[in-house]
Amino acid sequence: MAELRIADVEKSFGKVEVLKGVDLAIQDGEFIVLLGPSGCGKSTLLRIIAGLEDQTSGTISIGGTTVDHLPPARRGIAMVFQSYALYPHLDVAGNWALGLKQAGETKEVIEERTKEAARILELGPLLQRRPSELSGGQRQRVAIGRAIVRHPGVFLFDEPLSNLDAALRAQVRFEIGRLHKQLGATMVYVTHDQVEAMTLADRIVVMHQGVVQQVGSPADLYRTPANLFVAGFIGSPRMNFLKGTARQPGSLELDHGASLPLAELRQPAGEVVLGVRPDGFAVGDGATAPVRGKVVLNEYLGRESYLHLELEAGGRVVVEVAPDNPVRLDEIVGLELKPRAAHLFDAASEQRLAA
Amino acid sequence: MQHARAAARRKPFPWHVVVFLAPAVLIYTAVMIYPLAETLRLSFFDRTDEGARFWVGLVNFERLFLDPHWADQFWNALANNFYFFVVHMAVQNPIGVLLAALLSMTHLPGRTFYRTAIFVPAMLSVVIIGFAWKLILSPIWGVSETLLGLVGLDFLFGPWLGKEGSALTTLALISVWQYVGIPMMLIYAALLAIPEDISEAADLDGVRGMALFFKVKLPLIWPTIGIISILTFIGNFNAFDLIYAVQGALAGPNFSTDILGTFLYRTFFGHQLELGDPHMGATIATAMFLIILVGVMAYLWGVQRRMRRYQF
Repeated sequence: MAELRIADVEKSFGKVEVLKGVDLAIQDGEFIVLLGPSGCGKSTLLRIIAGLEDQTSGTISIGGTTVDHLPPARRGIAMVFQSYALYPHLDVAGNWALGLKQAGETKEVIEERTKEAARILELGPLLQRRPSELSGGQRQRVAIGRAIVRHPGVFLFDEPLSNLDAALRAQVRFEIGRLHKQLGATMVYVTHDQVEAMTLADRIVVMHQGVVQQVGSPADLYRTPANLFVAGFIGSPRMNFLKGTARQPGSLELDHGASLPLAELRQPAGEVVLGVRPDGFAVGDGATAPVRGKVVLNEYLGRESYLHLELEAGGRVVVEVAPDNPVRLDEIVGLELKPRAAHLFDAASEQRLAA
Repeated sequence: MQHARAAARRKPFPWHVVVFLAPAVLIYTAVMIYPLAETLRLSFFDRTDEGARFWVGLVNFERLFLDPHWADQFWNALANNFYFFVVHMAVQNPIGVLLAALLSMTHLPGRTFYRTAIFVPAMLSVVIIGFAWKLILSPIWGVSETLLGLVGLDFLFGPWLGKEGSALTTLALISVWQYVGIPMMLIYAALLAIPEDISEAADLDGVRGMALFFKVKLPLIWPTIGIISILTFIGNFNAFDLIYAVQGALAGPNFSTDILGTFLYRTFFGHQLELGDPHMGATIATAMFLIILVGVMAYLWGVQRRMRRYQF
């Protein structure tokens, strides 16, 4: 069990800057998810924490000790790879024991840790199997077991569910969450999947182009995204964005003329982007509403439907409606903003405007 | 009626399969199966002084294995051949593994140069290699004594190819020098096929350097080493060219470098005062075929079957 501090870490591959100064303090026992699109630097950051990659500058400390010059095995961490990376020539018990043997642990310790991991992961009957005799989900559990037997201060997960099919993914995700509660260990988990991030994380670190965009609980990120990137990345279907100008409090002039009453807008703010999630609109009268659009697609999902509207003012929005809503294709509908549904961002800096 | 209907429903004979297989079958039969069968057949015959061929059953084999005139030469050649093979297994393949391991190191400047340089001799003609080494090792005009002298080791030098005790070892090492690039390449490819992730996982487990090689990588390339061993066995028991190029058909000095290939050559085609004897030649060829067959089968059943090929 250990806290983890990442201080001003930068990383360049040649001229390409992959991490542009990352600062993070992760508490003991916290479950942190590094979330971002591919190429955002999240995996590189994880590999730097593990010691598989050297940072260009900055320091990493684990449990109060600076680990920059320690080899991976002496950092008090364990890592689970996307590809499992099990030793194909060893059975499950052998896979778990290799690192312990190398560290000079006694037979009794190895046996005890093996039993413990087998009990936690319910792999007891499979200890003598080789990786090639296991299913994908079992292999990933073996890989997690290889991390558990090391008794690390920090668990690192590098997209551990990406190679599993959808049903297994949900199951292993649940198991990882259970494992965190059971062990109470610090965990750092890299993924590009927001469902994994939202369900598992105590705090999510959203990264984009080597820069941390926002750090916060899943609810924080959903309710008050700090900038346009986070707003667009978290939530599915993604948030709708409408450009406009805020000349006076209480009303937003959208581009192409229409004017939208907006209680949240208390002072003039110039060029802004209005962000509204699909459930933030109410479908209203097509004749009087300030924003109108033509229905071009109706996605029926059973519990809800998503209407894709082509706005008269230009642009497209997606609106969540009840599945029994009687709209037809090509119909013109009006949109009204629900209370507290508006997110306002500065158009130039893309940062959230204090409402 | 019913018969006719059944015949109509039966699939037509797959002539296209025959047509597509025919070229390979014909060529393979003409150049491999027929000569092999004919060799096996010849080994059961002998001829009179007038040249008439007659059936003798296993008499040729009896002579080869038991008659002192033949058996001394045969067992000498067979023992030499095993020694030739043992030197390859003990020197060529470990060096091949070592070179491959060095080549697959992450930070190795000049990797391509080394890889090519070590592999080039394997592409050269054995005649050139044999002639070059004969010159290099010559006690009269060879450079090896001078080169050894430069590092103060000239007292070690001797006419290695001319001494009964060292000639076969020297030839085996020349052959090792020539062909070490082949196991190196095969093992290098096998090492490259091991995913980087596994090395990284081992690194996290504290298994690195020598431990990484012996505990993780070597077990994963055993199947490749197995294949190389069997290729070495087949190659060595069919060897002939290097001995012939360096020592001639008499495999001197005093038959100390005689292996089955050179023995077969002398017997079949004749040499100097000895007349060629196709029937005893075929008998030796058959014996070689059986030795290799038994060796390969024992290997496949005893060793390779127990080895696992790993999928990553």
